[in-house]
Amino acid sequence: MAVSAAARIEARRTLEPLPLLEGEQDDGTLNKTLLDYVWRKPGKGWLLLVGLGLAGTGLLTLAVVVTVSKGIGMWGNNIPVAWAFGIINFVWWIGIGHAGTLISAILLLFQQKWRTSINRFAEAMTLFAVLQAALFPVLHTGRPWFAIYWLFPYPSTNRIWPQFKSPLMWDVFAVSTYFITSLLFWYLGLIPDLAALRDSSTSRWMRRIYGVFSFGWRGSARHWHHYKIAYLLLAGLATPLVLSVHTIVSYDFAVSVVPGWHETIFPPYFVAGAVFSGFAMVVTLIVPARRFMRLKHVVTARHLEAMCKIMLATSLIVGYGYLMEHFLSWYSGNPYDFYQYANRRGILHGSFQSAAQDPYIPIFWLMVFCNVVVPSIFWSKWGRTNVYVMWIAAIFINVGMWCERFVIVVISLHRDFLPSSWAVYKPTWVDLSLLAGTICFFGMLFLLFLKFLPAVAVQEVKELRHELQAAHERHEIPEFSQEIIHVTELEAGEEDQR
Amino acid sequence: MKRLVLAEFAEPEPMVEAARKLRESGREGLDAYSPYPIHGIDDALKLPRSKVPLVALIAGLAGATGGYVLQWWTNAVDYEINVANRPPHAWPTNIPVTFESGVLVCVLTLFFGSLFYFFGLPRTYHPVFEAEEFRSASLDKFWISAEIKEGEDLRELERTLRDLGARRVTQVEGEE
Repeated sequence: MAVSAAARIEARRTLEPLPLLEGEQDDGTLNKTLLDYVWRKPGKGWLLLVGLGLAGTGLLTLAVVVTVSKGIGMWGNNIPVAWAFGIINFVWWIGIGHAGTLISAILLLFQQKWRTSINRFAEAMTLFAVLQAALFPVLHTGRPWFAIYWLFPYPSTNRIWPQFKSPLMWDVFAVSTYFITSLLFWYLGLIPDLAALRDSSTSRWMRRIYGVFSFGWRGSARHWHHYKIAYLLLAGLATPLVLSVHTIVSYDFAVSVVPGWHETIFPPYFVAGAVFSGFAMVVTLIVPARRFMRLKHVVTARHLEAMCKIMLATSLIVGYGYLMEHFLSWYSGNPYDFYQYANRRGILHGSFQSAAQDPYIPIFWLMVFCNVVVPSIFWSKWGRTNVYVMWIAAIFINVGMWCERFVIVVISLHRDFLPSSWAVYKPTWVDLSLLAGTICFFGMLFLLFLKFLPAVAVQEVKELRHELQAAHERHEIPEFSQEIIHVTELEAGEEDQR
Repeated sequence: MKRLVLAEFAEPEPMVEAARKLRESGREGLDAYSPYPIHGIDDALKLPRSKVPLVALIAGLAGATGGYVLQWWTNAVDYEINVANRPPHAWPTNIPVTFESGVLVCVLTLFFGSLFYFFGLPRTYHPVFEAEEFRSASLDKFWISAEIKEGEDLRELERTLRDLGARRVTQVEGEE
């Protein structure tokens, strides 16, 4: 074949996966770019955002104090809508956390190399999201200081025990296990990086502080020997948690008899929705972070594109879930179910005329738009590689997934079995402050994390770089330029050698 | 009081080779240090198989059993609760909490067991930290440490290490 070498390289280049690491990197440059910002003075933008987050946290504190001192009558909940913002926000935040665990655990077991640069971000996001989530059910108990005896099995003077046949108890175990697992998995990954911060610190105090938090890690081969296995096993344990936590959350609904909740499709549909919203939140946070923290060389277009593909896939699962729910409401022949879904859609309601006047119909259609229509932009390569497009789409998905939980919780409840008990739910300022406050608190925690801890798993990126380089050296592909050598995972280049 | 010789290498592969040669020459008290796990070092130092998986398995099974027994004893023996006329001991409703307790106990054991038992941490002092240059062990260099025997000729050991590719050789002493 008379194709010039240059043309072949060019053709090959367009087919190569996008780089995992950009530019020529070695351990020194990675330390410099991934650790040094901890020692720099924080920028004005960071301070401003932390200030905003602090103000929002103040609002959250106020709303919590009002809720606890005056009772949950300060919320807009009524009968029949006894579960409203408290549960919507709980499910929304817990769902967001799932992307972190999926990235850090499942992608590790599948040996997806693109996880390495973003797992630390995503795990931190998980932790902070689960913290926000845990706040809502605790507050929703009304008097949390009494809740302990029916939530945790300890021998109290009442001499009664929690009721383990309730999905709400399963939830307590699932969420607390999830939080503890995420925290310890994250921290185990952090220990070598904290030691790196200790050793690159310039002041005595910083050296001491990071020294204490790294527990005196010295990178001994004897430690790494156990560390690798412990990390892998933790990933293996976190993997079923990705599926089990949101499955158990969905049991809170599916085990009940409310039309719109009592469905066998809920567990897989909740898990897919959780991963969907979680990846949207990762993209929302990482797109600005990689720009302002100058991390584009480790969080490349390759990572963003992969996340967009996962969002597209999970959006299809979620869309299928919506379709199936509506189909089955008709196919089951159950009038309560049929009414419930006709009421959500506002169309095809047959003889149920009142559905057309329901105030929540736009929320259902907003959900469909955000979760099914918007993500279809990721079918095009342009959508998956343009950061502005994906960032805006991710915001829409965050909103859409919140709407989904609103649809499930509020719309299902406000049209109960008995028309005489129907009521419309309106959130109060306390509800809205709790939601806005947790978003600010989450943002503030995330900003503090970005400043004081290595936001990218430096140790793992160094290992990956070394691995890529060794792989290249074994294959010896002479036509490729130095720039590509460092940046792509090259599989054996048999074609080139022929 | 323990005396150690520390040798710094620029790349991981020569460090692994050096560790292997030192071990094969019969030297004891060897260890290697690196910013990230190095392929082949376990074999070079002939580290015994890690017991972490065994401990994790035992902990996971103990946690799951404990979770199940807890639910059975509290809800069916000590204080029976009739829920929708299900039997007091209805095993299918015990599955989620049994699973979660197994995972929880396993995770706690893995983390704290590794930290306290397998790593011997937290420990902010170690003789290797006496060498200021050792800072690079968590950043971008690879180190080997070897215990110095009583009355040993240090120049001999240093020459061996330099021949094996060490860029810097130093010695430290401190309490173990």
